[in-house]
Amino acid sequence: MSLQSAIRNPQSAIGKVLVSGIGYSNMSDLSFGRVLYGEMVGMSWPEHVHVEDLNFGPVMIYQWFEESPVKYDKVVLVSAANRGRAPGTLEVYAWDGKLPDEAGIQACIGEAITGVLSLENLLIVCKHFGVLPDDVTIIEIEPQKEDYGLKFSPVVAARVGEAIDLVKVEVMKAKRG
Amino acid sequence: MCFKNLPVEFDAQGNAHLKGGVVDPFAYQPREIKRDKLEELLARNGHIKDVSISPVTRVAGALSFHAVADLQERKFLEANSVATIFRGYEVILKGRDARDAIYISSRACGVCGGVHSTAACEAIEMAFGISPPPLGTVLRNLALSLDFLYDHPLHLFLLAGPDYSQVVVEATTPAMWEKAKVTEAPHADVHDYKTIGDIMKSLNPLSGKCYLDGLKMTRVPREAYAVLFGKYPHPQTVVPGGMSSTVTITDFNETYTRLQKMMDWTKRMILLWDDLTEFFYEYNPEYKKVGARDKNMIDLGMWDDPDSYDASYARCNEWGEARWATPGVVIDGNLVTTKLQQLNLGLEEFVEHSYYENWNQNGNVRYKTDPSGAPLSPNHPWNKETMPKPSKESWKDRYTWSTAPRWDRQVVEAGAYARIWTTAAAGLMPKNQFLESTGHSLKIHMPKTMLREMDFEWKIPQVWNAFERNRARAYCMGYNLMVAYTMVLKAFDFLRKGEDKVSTKFEVPQGERVGVGFWGAGRGYLSHHLVLDKGAIVNYQIVTPSTFNASPKDPFGNPGPYEEAVLNTPILEDFDKPSDFTGVDMLRAIRSFDPCMPCTTHIYGGEREIVREVNTCACSAEG
Repeated sequence: MSLQSAIRNPQSAIGKVLVSGIGYSNMSDLSFGRVLYGEMVGMSWPEHVHVEDLNFGPVMIYQWFEESPVKYDKVVLVSAANRGRAPGTLEVYAWDGKLPDEAGIQACIGEAITGVLSLENLLIVCKHFGVLPDDVTIIEIEPQKEDYGLKFSPVVAARVGEAIDLVKVEVMKAKRG
Repeated sequence: MCFKNLPVEFDAQGNAHLKGGVVDPFAYQPREIKRDKLEELLARNGHIKDVSISPVTRVAGALSFHAVADLQERKFLEANSVATIFRGYEVILKGRDARDAIYISSRACGVCGGVHSTAACEAIEMAFGISPPPLGTVLRNLALSLDFLYDHPLHLFLLAGPDYSQVVVEATTPAMWEKAKVTEAPHADVHDYKTIGDIMKSLNPLSGKCYLDGLKMTRVPREAYAVLFGKYPHPQTVVPGGMSSTVTITDFNETYTRLQKMMDWTKRMILLWDDLTEFFYEYNPEYKKVGARDKNMIDLGMWDDPDSYDASYARCNEWGEARWATPGVVIDGNLVTTKLQQLNLGLEEFVEHSYYENWNQNGNVRYKTDPSGAPLSPNHPWNKETMPKPSKESWKDRYTWSTAPRWDRQVVEAGAYARIWTTAAAGLMPKNQFLESTGHSLKIHMPKTMLREMDFEWKIPQVWNAFERNRARAYCMGYNLMVAYTMVLKAFDFLRKGEDKVSTKFEVPQGERVGVGFWGAGRGYLSHHLVLDKGAIVNYQIVTPSTFNASPKDPFGNPGPYEEAVLNTPILEDFDKPSDFTGVDMLRAIRSFDPCMPCTTHIYGGEREIVREVNTCACSAEG
């Protein structure tokens, strides 16, 4: 679904899904989400899916959600995070929606307004301001190379297609309701 | 005579030359930092405590702060400002096409990248010998006013504001909170907060109305910025010789509408900060000492006059003084110059207490004079080389990645408040219907919107401290808004006359050239010094406001502005035992300089345990 068609008829699609990939550019495997966003935005998607660039400050993103004429039922986000798994591990999980304490939220907002892009900040800020649907699915890869670089390491590069297939599975789940 | 320390004097025609009879005119003998006595006091483990604010930063640039506090005498005995990360834009830019500086240096800041793009552009324009057409200059001015309309609310309500909120005041000075609850706010009829307690509640993070409105209000200027320049904060439309945006009257109308939206909120906000400041002073005049330091500041001015700006160094004094923010240096409360050439000649950077090699060791100096033949220090950015030298942190030796920029070897601070101060004191602002510089104040006339038309006057303050920095910042919101408003009106005029050109064609010169972008960020002074050869960057040096403010001690033994402000800050918070000490007065002092990029920091008490989390500034060392 294009944003324009959604604006024209916001109630038309069932199980509206927002898809994005989060990460800084040129940071090797840590740019997994951002690079995949670039791939996905050029693909054809079912009418109920909208692919959007959310690689900007999370406060701006919560304001974008607030202003959006489309209220999404599900958000699917692709990213990379170092969680001590084997490099290249690809996981799909539902975000539990748990927020840190007030000081933690305030710290996230402080970072968000001053230019930090991160999946964690995005989720916390948007959840705090009540703009995220309950159904938030994360597709996350374990990076091998985390410093400056234009390319993925081979173990991460090998999972690109699979990650996009997982996004496709998740968006179709929403359509089935 | 504008310099009292540098060996430079001026003749009757204003030409600078070295004072006669000085063998090595810019030489100096660095002073040693002695702290044996302090170490002895700390070793006794009594009421003298180490207090460290240590950052956990997730972005380039971070500040940490170390102080030694006498909790019995309620004062600070030592203060050390530490920029913990080397960024090295100067190193990255070497050898690149000059135009790359516009887009790469923009990444020096995640809030206000556009200011770096513009400073880079002005440096390139000087080197290339080009300048924008009038509407290009107006557009550039508008971009940088919109940028600051985003920046000021961030500082006032999201970063510094919570320091004055109910939750902080009630926890650190309960008696003050009781008083605030029953003290009527003098300007309640405008801002709608009946008591000072209500204002403090509105500053509560996450839930207070001012906090939430501040967050919402950041959207409005950003929208206008995106309409005119494509995206924020790293515009791709800033180009040498102007802007690459295609703008129509509709774009300016959309901008005008958004400026109108900010008008009433700004009127309320200015008076709110007035009320808050006066309450603190009245409650306890000792608050006038929080963050206090000498009235020494610097600003390069900004917002060029479209009819004057030609980017040339030869005429920089003329076009500088025609700016909508007047360049200037204030020493002991007196404006000592408004001439950009003198501001430039007086600038030096020192690295005795920073993690850099001194580039002067072999005695080779690239430029002994500026392009007009005036004497230039070997410590000037056109002569500086960035030579990182990581080493062990030592309060006696090297402890930061920030250099120590000084003007005429004096410690000056930078900020939006310096901009309004130099502009107010100079009396040179272009004639217009909304802003007037009186020589001792800046008058701001704001037209009727939902609220009535209102006149504000920021007066040069008698005292200089954390509260006055914040109050001036609130007035800067009105100042910026009316500059933006005027620029939109000017844009309408140019379009009406058919002058719609926004950029100038140019060719990249192949010979050796120098340039400097004299500009400003939301938080003040910003210079980009550039040396080119064959179109490529030979040397690039950025000095940001936080390079000044977060600077370490200089070789003459003077602390940097954060350090000095903390040393002058009395400890006014209530606490019975050291573990209850929060450091709020020190944090108010530091934050009043304007937090920039975020770093979540932890303040350690004597037991070296985390007792408080804060956000503070990190936009510092090396751009």
